Amino acid sequence: MHKIAEVEIQHDIMVANRKLAKKNQKILDKSNVFAVDVLGAIGSGKTSLIENLIQKLDYPVAVIAGDVISKFDAGRFEKYNVPVVGLNTGKECHLDAHLVEHAFHDMPLDEVDVLFIENVGNLICPVDFDLGAHMRMVVISVSEGDDTVEKHPLIFKEADLVVINKVDIADAVGADQDKMVADVLKLNPDVQVIKTSLKTGKGFKEIINALEKARNE
Amino acid sequence: MHELSMADAIVKTVIEAAEKNDAIEVLEVTIEVGQMTLLNPEQIKFMVGVLSEDTILEGAKFHMEEVPIEIDCECGYKGKIGADDLDHYTPVLNCPECDERNFDIIAGRECNVKNIKIEKRDEDA
Ligand SMILES: Nc1nc2c(ncn2[C@@H]2O[C@H](COP(=O)(O)OP(=O)(O)OP(=O)(O)O)[C@@H](O)[C@H]2O)c(=O)[nH]1
Ligand SMILES: [Zn+2]
Ligand SMILES: [Zn+2]
Ligand SMILES: [Zn+2]
Repeated sequence: MHKIAEVEIQHDIMVANRKLAKKNQKILDKSNVFAVDVLGAIGSGKTSLIENLIQKLDYPVAVIAGDVISKFDAGRFEKYNVPVVGLNTGKECHLDAHLVEHAFHDMPLDEVDVLFIENVGNLICPVDFDLGAHMRMVVISVSEGDDTVEKHPLIFKEADLVVINKVDIADAVGADQDKMVADVLKLNPDVQVIKTSLKTGKGFKEIINALEKARNE
Repeated sequence: MHELSMADAIVKTVIEAAEKNDAIEVLEVTIEVGQMTLLNPEQIKFMVGVLSEDTILEGAKFHMEEVPIEIDCECGYKGKIGADDLDHYTPVLNCPECDERNFDIIAGRECNVKNIKIEKRDEDA
């Protein structure tokens, strides 16, 4: 004779990630590291922005670089002689707290002031996965189209800083950059939005100031 | 999409619970997916089915329950906020009472393996 039984499980897979994220933040705080989760569309300029920041910031910086199947971005950062850990996500479309915690093992956290975590280029999936960073910076560019914000609202709601990059080519691609700013503010009225061109340097100082401010808060 | 990694975690969770309870078969699984997540319940269901092959879960029935977004607002409002099927993937959340966003989200972000129905050996058998 067999019998049928109901078993309560109540195991929330999202909560499991959020718990790991909290643990990550504790690890970072213990070493006095300010961590920034850099999210955004494919090719929007995440790597370029971090490269620029590495060169301009005058305190020790390190990078965790997420890539889907290569360690391509990690290779770009290594040139600057800063600690870099490349994270291969396999087929995954986002980093998660568990993967990031693994990267901490290979990172001299005690020698680092600011850690940039470049997420996989994707405006959708990373939203669900808190990494334990202190700040979420979302980088998009005008070349994805000026309806990008409207189409992916959640990532902007959860952002602490939004960068709209490549404004130097806005006219060429027919994108209304101010509409993009307005769309972000409609979703998230308190967030700081910075229009940048990494090509001309426009807006870059504002990003540094915003990072400084967040770090000292 | 990360439905695959979710499905993988779900299958692992269910198998662990089933084995702990001496199941010989899992008959039904109920999973709650919050409207605030960017997960597609139908896709999860499909992938869980694929991953269940050749496990104790094979052939189990999966019930997907959507969990509405619920907030606890500073203005005192505590409850559900509307996100109907149409704007399911684009919820622009404002408190229905004060129209502000000073709230904690208390439901709608879960991917919760709620319970399972199993067939198990009779203890006296
Ligand atoms: N015109 C223009 N091009 C830019 C700007 N910023 C970055 N680019 C170019 O855009 C391309 C993509 O930049 P990346 O920094 O690799 O973008 P990414 O977001 O790291 O890309 P993934 O990691 O693949 O998602 C490169 O060819 C950059 O040189 C900008 O402000 N203006
Ligand atoms: Zn990159
Ligand atoms: Zn995904
Ligand atoms: Zn309210």
